[in-house]
Amino acid sequence: MTAAFLRTRAFRDIVVVLVLVFGVGSIAMLLAHVSPIVGFGALFDGAWGTKGEIAETLVQTTNLLFPALGIAIAFRAGLFNIGAEGQLVMGGFAAGWLGAQFPLPGYLAVPMVLAAGTLAGGVWGAIPGIMRARFKANEVIATLMLNVVAILLTTYLVTGPLQQGGANGSETGPLPKAAQLTHLFDTQLTWAFVLALVLAFVLRWVLQRTIFGYELRAAGDAPEAAKRAGIDLGRTALIAMSLSGAIAGLGGATIVAGALHRFNTGLSPGYGFIAIAVALVGNLDPLWIVVASVAFGMLQSGGIAMQAEAGVPKEVVSLIIGLVIIALAGRRVVASLRST
Amino acid sequence: MQAVDGVDLELQPGEIHALVGENGAGKSTLAAIAYGAVRSDDGSVEAVGVVGLVHQHFKLIERLRVWENVLLNREPRRGWAIDVDAARERVRALSASYGLAVDPDALVETLPVGIKQRVELLRELDREPSVLLLDEPTASLAPTEIASFFTTVGDLAKRGTAIMVVTHKLAEVIAYSQRVTVMRAGRVVASHLTSETSADEIAREMVGGEVPALAARASVATAPLLEVRGLSARSGTSVLDDATFEVRAGEIVGVAGIEGNGQTALSDALAGVAAFTGELVFAGTLLRASDTPASRLARGIRVIPQDRRHEALVLDWNVRDNVALGRQRTLGLAKYAGAAREVIERFDVRPPNPDAIVAALSGGNQQKIVVGRTLASSPKLVVAYQPTRGIDIGAAALVQSRLIEARNAGAGVLLISFELDEIFATADRVLVIANGKFVGSFDRAGIDRGRIGALMAGNA
Amino acid sequence: MNATLAAVMAILGLTLIKATPLIYAALGGVLSERAGVVNIGLEGILIAGAFTSVVVSGATGNPILGALAGVLAGMLLAAILAYVTTRLAVDQIVAGTGLNIAALAGAAFGLVLVYHQPGASHEVPALGRTGETVLVVLAFVAAGVLHLVLTRTPWGLHVRACGEDPSAADSAGIDALKTRFWAVVIGGAIASLGGVYLSLAELDLYSDGMTAGRGFIALAAVIFGRWTPLGATGAALFFGFFAALQFSLQRAGVPSELLQALPYLAALVALAGFAGRVRAPAADGVPYVRS
Repeated sequence: MTAAFLRTRAFRDIVVVLVLVFGVGSIAMLLAHVSPIVGFGALFDGAWGTKGEIAETLVQTTNLLFPALGIAIAFRAGLFNIGAEGQLVMGGFAAGWLGAQFPLPGYLAVPMVLAAGTLAGGVWGAIPGIMRARFKANEVIATLMLNVVAILLTTYLVTGPLQQGGANGSETGPLPKAAQLTHLFDTQLTWAFVLALVLAFVLRWVLQRTIFGYELRAAGDAPEAAKRAGIDLGRTALIAMSLSGAIAGLGGATIVAGALHRFNTGLSPGYGFIAIAVALVGNLDPLWIVVASVAFGMLQSGGIAMQAEAGVPKEVVSLIIGLVIIALAGRRVVASLRST
Repeated sequence: MQAVDGVDLELQPGEIHALVGENGAGKSTLAAIAYGAVRSDDGSVEAVGVVGLVHQHFKLIERLRVWENVLLNREPRRGWAIDVDAARERVRALSASYGLAVDPDALVETLPVGIKQRVELLRELDREPSVLLLDEPTASLAPTEIASFFTTVGDLAKRGTAIMVVTHKLAEVIAYSQRVTVMRAGRVVASHLTSETSADEIAREMVGGEVPALAARASVATAPLLEVRGLSARSGTSVLDDATFEVRAGEIVGVAGIEGNGQTALSDALAGVAAFTGELVFAGTLLRASDTPASRLARGIRVIPQDRRHEALVLDWNVRDNVALGRQRTLGLAKYAGAAREVIERFDVRPPNPDAIVAALSGGNQQKIVVGRTLASSPKLVVAYQPTRGIDIGAAALVQSRLIEARNAGAGVLLISFELDEIFATADRVLVIANGKFVGSFDRAGIDRGRIGALMAGNA
Repeated sequence: MNATLAAVMAILGLTLIKATPLIYAALGGVLSERAGVVNIGLEGILIAGAFTSVVVSGATGNPILGALAGVLAGMLLAAILAYVTTRLAVDQIVAGTGLNIAALAGAAFGLVLVYHQPGASHEVPALGRTGETVLVVLAFVAAGVLHLVLTRTPWGLHVRACGEDPSAADSAGIDALKTRFWAVVIGGAIASLGGVYLSLAELDLYSDGMTAGRGFIALAAVIFGRWTPLGATGAALFFGFFAALQFSLQRAGVPSELLQALPYLAALVALAGFAGRVRAPAADGVPYVRS
């Protein structure tokens, strides 16, 4: 049993990831004249040291979990959604702007803010979905472009035609108290964390136990056979991309409603890209993605502490994550994805 | 798995040596080992000079020109550049020398299959092989082309090339080879001078016993089911032009033709995945070009596609989920397992495990799943496109028997096949397709092999 | 009248300047994709070229050495991508995305290490007007040369064979994996010149985000150019024109973010209009595994 596990792909991947994290991390720390023991010590301590730091780790986990789940849905359907970053930004923008523009009473405010983010992300995901379904346009290039367009468009909107009072630079006005997510345990952690966990379980169930999930996986794993089995590939692509974008957009909304309490064009330090690594490490399985997002959430929160405490630039974390993505690009996920 | 086990084989210059065996007997593997493309664990291959191999599935690059394919990696050069004029000349000279006419500048993707084979052959001939291996070389040739092909090959043999033809077509073995070796389950089971054996003997040696019998044909009353008038369709490079025919409930209509003559367009138009013009009336209702594949399935039209690995199965999935494919909604998730067990039992799928991953199954067992799920949905019309391609004789007989039983039970079957024997063994009527057109129609009683062969070759 | 003419000339001149890095990146992409490897990592290669050339120019005081170092860095990054996509047969798109993230972060990390400040480098000796002109002209020369290499030379034919059907190429005795590897690496060298141009010719420093998605635009240019060097160059000029237009309109008071988005929107529209009517090399993006 144990011996068999040692030979599995999953185990090999874990080893590769650990080697990259500690190997590359150590080299980078040495370059910055910091002992890896001190550097990693600061990282782990910064991620798990106090109640507040644990909460921050889980906040980062949440911020990665939403887009990673969205990416997993698209990838499972055979679609390379590289656009989670843009979808997250659009979701955050819609949540922030509407929340500040239309202050609703208590029970309605949070649902409206989250729904707005979900919808906006869904629309941003639907664009490449429609382009793919209608024109057979390659979704990779389209989503890459839309990432850039999302940042430029929201910057333009919040500094131009949709500028709000109380905004300072590229941001919206502040969210009213009613539209903010409640904190848990007196920390930065909010209900968004629980929402993301529930979503992971729901998506797992949808993928494995529903006909919709069956058809989505068929479209991804064998598009030609799926088409002949009566599955509408265009429709599936559109739904999968919209759903994928919607989940990323919901993530953007929770960042706005849970932490920033306003939309800011810099709200994501690349969550949508890091989430690709999370989804791959999680083998596109929503439950394993939860585990992976905790690991990457730790790197994110610990990285900031590492920069502050040990003087190692936090970009080291992104560097490692980029390398992890390269190393894990061989996972089965994408075997049949090229069909354009 | 051991594909080939302890095989001794000797080829002589000037001789055409046929290597026969069922699918999976190991003959293609043996050819690949001889060519050097596959490594053997034990034993050796010795050849005087260059070994050439003409693949069953051409190794041609579709979007390159003929000369680029023929001379790939052996381009004549002038300085840093390719000497294109010299390249053309070399291909022309080679063509002339072997009587294989082809335009050196043509794009391969624009060529008909027969010409593509010439290109494939020219490429090997340019290497001046002393041994030439031909893997199922006539699979996509018309009967008349086959004769002229073997004339060329015989010529080569006379010039001193040792030739091995891997094939399952026994008629060709008897007509054109001097020596024949029979393989079964990775071993050589017999070796003869062709003049001292017969097709029947070889067939028994291939199967290792008697060839299994097919299900009996019950006499059933037929009724109108599918009427096709002026159907023109296109799918990829396959073109169907103005086809008019009928398939009645309770009959098997065979479509005889050589690969690449419009069969794919016909099958895809009926499946709802290719656009068409003309009239398709099915059970009294008009089918439209805008119909989805789902609507065809809902009407009871089921297609067994030609390429089971890509068009029919999700290879990474288990048997259970694959059996449900096509019926995923009507069946309901709870019934997937039961449906899988039914197909496994009725079609003797091995291993009999609904959780087995389909990619790990043999081609025959994969095809049983495809045919099994198709017939289990009580279809009104079954379009079976090469339903026994690449599977062993036992599995093929099972598939053909089940199609006959479906017909006996009142389904209409359109059997599109490149194997005339399969059509003659099962069909009530035979239609002949050539160059995208229907060129002949025969009742079971009036089947004329020679005439059908000539029509398939495009000689009206 | 003269003013209009001057404005038009200014836009055309600016088009050349804006198109040059795109041409380099697109040519690198064309070579790589004709061999069958989709290079999503072009953006990262631009970053590597831009960053490394600045650091080495600053350290040695010699911008030419800087430029060469930039090309080497681009090749090194491309070699990583080439290795994992050929020898390990991993997914090209995911690997390229990882490369972009790593390159961006690596450069940001490098800024802190070398210049002890985040965001941007110091000013370093640059290539100057002459260098800029040379790089602009060289871009067009590179397009012509790549066209000849692909259509006229044995290696070009082998590259195309590997992009169409690596297994057929392999059976003709061409080492498909090796051919793909070098096509990606040489493509990386060409693309990295785009990065060198941005940091050492158009400017004299590196700053985070200065490549601004040009690698992605270049990917679109590869498609619109139908995977040919000359076509991709034409497409790069088209996108360069939009970028130049942005500069001019900005002075007329149109908000800059919308204008910056213009080339991307143009690419999106063109992508929708073009798709389905052009055919990529048959094995483009498909990992080749020898059986």
